[in-house]
Amino acid sequence: MTSMYDKLVDLLVARFEVDRAEIKPGITFEDLEMDSLFLVELLLVIQTDLGVKISEDTASPRDTIERAAELIEEQVAAATPS
Amino acid sequence: MSRVAVLAGVGSCLPPRAVSNAELAERLGSSDEWIRSRTGIGQRYFAAPGTATSDLAVGAGERALKSAGESTVDIVIVATTTPDRPCPGTAPTVATRLGFADVAAFDVAAVCTGFVYGLANAAGLIAAGIADRVLLIGAETFSSILNPHDRSTSVIFGDGAGAVVLRAGTADEPGAIGPFDLGSDGTGRDLITVRAGGSYQRLSGVTPGDDEHFFEMAGKEVFWRAVQRMSGSTRAVLDRAGWRAGDVDRLICHQANLRILHRLADELGIPRDRAIGNITEVGNTAAASIPLAMDHAHAAGTLRPGDRIVLTAFGGGLTWGSTVLTWPDIDRA
Repeated sequence: MTSMYDKLVDLLVARFEVDRAEIKPGITFEDLEMDSLFLVELLLVIQTDLGVKISEDTASPRDTIERAAELIEEQVAAATPS
Repeated sequence: MSRVAVLAGVGSCLPPRAVSNAELAERLGSSDEWIRSRTGIGQRYFAAPGTATSDLAVGAGERALKSAGESTVDIVIVATTTPDRPCPGTAPTVATRLGFADVAAFDVAAVCTGFVYGLANAAGLIAAGIADRVLLIGAETFSSILNPHDRSTSVIFGDGAGAVVLRAGTADEPGAIGPFDLGSDGTGRDLITVRAGGSYQRLSGVTPGDDEHFFEMAGKEVFWRAVQRMSGSTRAVLDRAGWRAGDVDRLICHQANLRILHRLADELGIPRDRAIGNITEVGNTAAASIPLAMDHAHAAGTLRPGDRIVLTAFGGGLTWGSTVLTWPDIDRA
């Protein structure tokens, strides 16, 4: 798994009281009972932590954690041209 | 030294009936746990039939006047989203009922930012020498526009009023209001709205649907914008005041949602326990939320003379605004 996936897992455990044992790459936010409000909060945390602008629509509650990590990485790459 | 507005008194008023999460959850197919985990709200107050926004405004206004030791003012401003009638404004009714014959009175419509916009109005009127004393009231009977079937909004909002008395003074006094940061973005007008009842709908030739007479809010989009606009506005006003985030003793944010408050404090680097909140007890009371939170914190002794305080709000419009003050030594109403 990527470092973004690991970061997401750490945030879910530390800030959203999700049980680490429940989190797997293929599980969705919905499966973790995280709705769009929780997701937008998660994206705000990531945006601040990484210091880059990302979109509020980057991921949806139906996305898996793995897919959300990919989508966020794409946005981060686009936001910081090499 | 130039004239500025100085906080001289604070008061609030809630309708008698508290409505628990359990009572609402039963009707909405929700639960106390669901509501608390998403909003931090445990109960809110709903006005009884026969009550209007002016009733709560008068109650809060009387207490703020008592706290300030004032028997009259030059101008009454009411910030509200839920005026007694679409026309005229509610402030003249409130002024008359408080016994102020012939004083200037007008409403401010900036939804949840209304109180901060009202403070800016009052500060300007005092600085310009147009008024020496202003009564500013944030008052809402938000229950009157809630869609009883909308789970996302009907558990969040509540009724209530908070008021402050401002007097002319100098910038070096405790209680001096300002500087300010204010802003708006009309592209977001659909995110927090009542679609029917205004000229846009009335002249559209289209009969509105039943739900269009109710308040609606796009929760996710509002959360995203509220945190970023309030943090940006707070940083701007701290910069203008020459304060650093670490200098802030108390952050009084519009009581929108506990998760927004916590996120905002984190973004600003202000410890969460410095963010004043009464949302658990009263819900989101829109334009009333900041003065209501301020009065409850003052009554509880949480605000001490000399505390450096930031006020920040975000609401429909979209609108946002922030200001600062040092808490003065004022009486409890």
